[in-house]
Amino acid sequence: MLSAQVGVLDQVDGSCKLQCGETSVICSVTGPVEPKARQELPSQLALEIVVRPCRGVPSTREKMLEDQIRGVVTPILARYMYPRQLAQICCQVLESGEPEEQYSGKELSACINAVFLALVDAGIGLLASVSCVCLAITGDNEQIQINPSQANLIKSTSTHVLALQLGAGAKKVENVLLLESYGAFDEESMLQVLHSGEMACMETALELRKVIEHKIREDFIWR
Amino acid sequence: MAKDIDISSSEAKFLIDSLKQGFRFDSRGFEEFRDVGIEFGKDFGDVTVTVGRTKVHCRISCSIAQPYEDRPFEGLFYISTESSPMAGPQFENGNNTGEDEVLCSRIIEKAVRRSGALDVEGLCIVAGSKCWAVRADVHFLNCDGGFIDVSCIAVMCGLLHFRKPDVTVAGEQITVHSLDEREPVPLGVLHIPICVTFSFFNPEDAEENIKGDLNNEICLIDATLKEELLRDGTLTVTLNKNREVVQVSKAGGLPMDALMLMDCCHKAYKITETLTDQITSELKRDADSRNQFAAMLSSENARVS
Amino acid sequence: MKEAIEIQPMTFHPEVLARIAPDLSMQRHLSLGLRPSLRALEEFRNVEISDGQLSCGSQNSVNRTGNNILGSNVLKSGKTMVITSITGGVVEENMSVHNPDEEESPELEQAVGAGGVEDHGCVYPVVEVERGRVGAPTDEEMNLSQRIYNSVLHTGLISKKALEVSVGVRSTNSDGQSSVLYPDADPSNALAQNFKPRRKWSYVLYAKIQVFSRDGPLFELCWNSLLYALANTQLPRAFVDERTTDLKIPVSMRGRSAAIRETFDILCDPNEFQPLMLSKDRLAFASNFAVVDIDPEAQLPKDDDDMQVDSPKSVLLADIQGEAEEASVFSTLSAVTDAKGNLKHFKAVGGGSKITMEMIKRSIALAKLRASDLNKKL
Repeated sequence: MLSAQVGVLDQVDGSCKLQCGETSVICSVTGPVEPKARQELPSQLALEIVVRPCRGVPSTREKMLEDQIRGVVTPILARYMYPRQLAQICCQVLESGEPEEQYSGKELSACINAVFLALVDAGIGLLASVSCVCLAITGDNEQIQINPSQANLIKSTSTHVLALQLGAGAKKVENVLLLESYGAFDEESMLQVLHSGEMACMETALELRKVIEHKIREDFIWR
Repeated sequence: MAKDIDISSSEAKFLIDSLKQGFRFDSRGFEEFRDVGIEFGKDFGDVTVTVGRTKVHCRISCSIAQPYEDRPFEGLFYISTESSPMAGPQFENGNNTGEDEVLCSRIIEKAVRRSGALDVEGLCIVAGSKCWAVRADVHFLNCDGGFIDVSCIAVMCGLLHFRKPDVTVAGEQITVHSLDEREPVPLGVLHIPICVTFSFFNPEDAEENIKGDLNNEICLIDATLKEELLRDGTLTVTLNKNREVVQVSKAGGLPMDALMLMDCCHKAYKITETLTDQITSELKRDADSRNQFAAMLSSENARVS
Repeated sequence: MKEAIEIQPMTFHPEVLARIAPDLSMQRHLSLGLRPSLRALEEFRNVEISDGQLSCGSQNSVNRTGNNILGSNVLKSGKTMVITSITGGVVEENMSVHNPDEEESPELEQAVGAGGVEDHGCVYPVVEVERGRVGAPTDEEMNLSQRIYNSVLHTGLISKKALEVSVGVRSTNSDGQSSVLYPDADPSNALAQNFKPRRKWSYVLYAKIQVFSRDGPLFELCWNSLLYALANTQLPRAFVDERTTDLKIPVSMRGRSAAIRETFDILCDPNEFQPLMLSKDRLAFASNFAVVDIDPEAQLPKDDDDMQVDSPKSVLLADIQGEAEEASVFSTLSAVTDAKGNLKHFKAVGGGSKITMEMIKRSIALAKLRASDLNKKL
């Protein structure tokens, strides 16, 4: 389902190309670099996040994706390590895999995972790891689809994006970084989503760790 | 293109000196284009082109729109080339007012749109009220020089690869058939313009170049980022396989010998020819891989031609 | 030679402390069992609503002529005021997006009603947070607008059916008097029945949401205000003139010619209105919460007697308000639900304190109570 390559671009400090089902994004991280005066924070790392759509010009939809990514990334970054510096995070959606006017969950989850890998690739200090999945509830029997296909997404009654902060080798859930749900659902189905989302996040985290492991093995091949 | 990148003076001197002795950093000949890689995505009109380390992604999309009032028989065609910090830290997000960014988008616009590479009349659905609006979004992923040339290849590959959904028109009503329902139709591409950029270096001092009789500028094809940073002048010619010059752009910089222009066009034509052949063969390969069961499913009788 | 240094405790006015040390202000208040806004932990602010008499469809409107506001609401919560005005337009539907089979059986379509997202209509909201200056929209405004758009779309509050225009025909009789006939007004009328427009129109609704004296997170206030405004929205009836129903204009250009059907004027009736039909079962109200950890170091010293009281590690606050609260909470919850617990939108951002399952459950329970209160004001 999920495949990723890191270090795909060479003009930036860290990069990652990630495919998840029908969705594919490429993410770059430049930093820590000198910020512009208006971005500078006296005691912390400032973040500039850019999301660019696959087709058309960026709109409020991309602005919201940027805000959501910022909400997830800010708490896991060791921002105190880089006062008065800037990290530029740029995500380019290559394939959306969903009707863009109505949904953004699949893009969001792919972007968050890609940003995490690109941050690792850039060597920026992190406090915890994160993984993200998109879920949809379809049909009358409330079946939960993890990383739904476009067809299932359109049929779904509600869509959810869950990003978890993971610790202890991605085996322990430390916090819910983002849960965003739209559609019609009730408390019970949301708790179900949280439950199966947690499992899926763990699995995704293992996949992401494999990518990092592979990268490190390649990077230190001279040892 | 990149203004904020500084290159050390010793490296700059080394590069110029090696050029004077006939060497390039990547051991290419002066008139050699880097290897071009064309990769098509799963969807129609999704293409990634790599030239050396330069990487450009292009996505073609279409929607139904209303044509311009003064051109009721023509569809709409836009090309958007917006840079983002992904290609390199010298690019600013959403700021396309830099001189080089403007030049790049203008040349692509001239080479592809204004040259009529896409048949816009073929995009008309109902005259005066409905037409296709085709949009090419060029995304710069990695910058190592030659954005103009690479973007042009990417846009043309995208247009050739793209299929728009079939429509049936019954009077005023139109029905758009989804891709599974009916075989989508390709766009009408009338010719394939290919841009080739020449970079000029002045081996002597500036005075010699203006007053002197010597015309010994060094001329490179397909400069890398470092070469682009140090060049004194640039020329972009756009040609197609029919030996037609589509567009020539020389925006200031080092003055060049007039006769050299012809020479450059000749050199560019050779490149145009090989690139056009490569594009067509890559497209054919992609079409075959999508259609690998066509022979099995076809009811056509085997004929000897 | 040493001089004794006298240390004087610094004191600040609560508002100053709230700005320079919001977290300390928060913790000190919490140790008193209060919040910086002086409310109890799970207490919501009261909400005052009125329609502001702005819309041209409302009976007691302040100005009925030359007014294009179709629905309005003024919501006050604390010192924050949100003014929502709904305006609209009519656009031609692209027939192509519909399957031709569906077109022939409108009854079937109606029966389905609550379908997927493609059957959901929407409003296009623009949120403006007034700060005493003009300029490009801020990120907050753009995010709010987009989030409200997403929520309306996925909630299915307005079905596409509700936005369809049933077009009337204006006919002029021999005396020169014109009258407008609507297809549903008189089914026996031959003219209205015979005139089946070959085109389809639908209303588009825009919502301008202005916020004055921002004092905390805004999504919930904007959402609730929009909901009240939509509930009193009146859509004007629209008609076309009989003479222009089949107008064709020949054009020729560069040796090609074609008859172009002119996009004829569709006019809105200034007097006839129809209420916007909302899907009542999908009305849901928004409320927000925050999770705050209690820092034992920052607590006010207690008497020795009750030292051993176990206080909870983190608490849930409802309805965030004010600088001290907003700046010191990093974990927030936001729920859009009706009184029965049918959720429409839920957002949790855990930037700080851990969001536990109990917190989520508790917030939903409180949101349900809040929704039933707010529903009464409709």
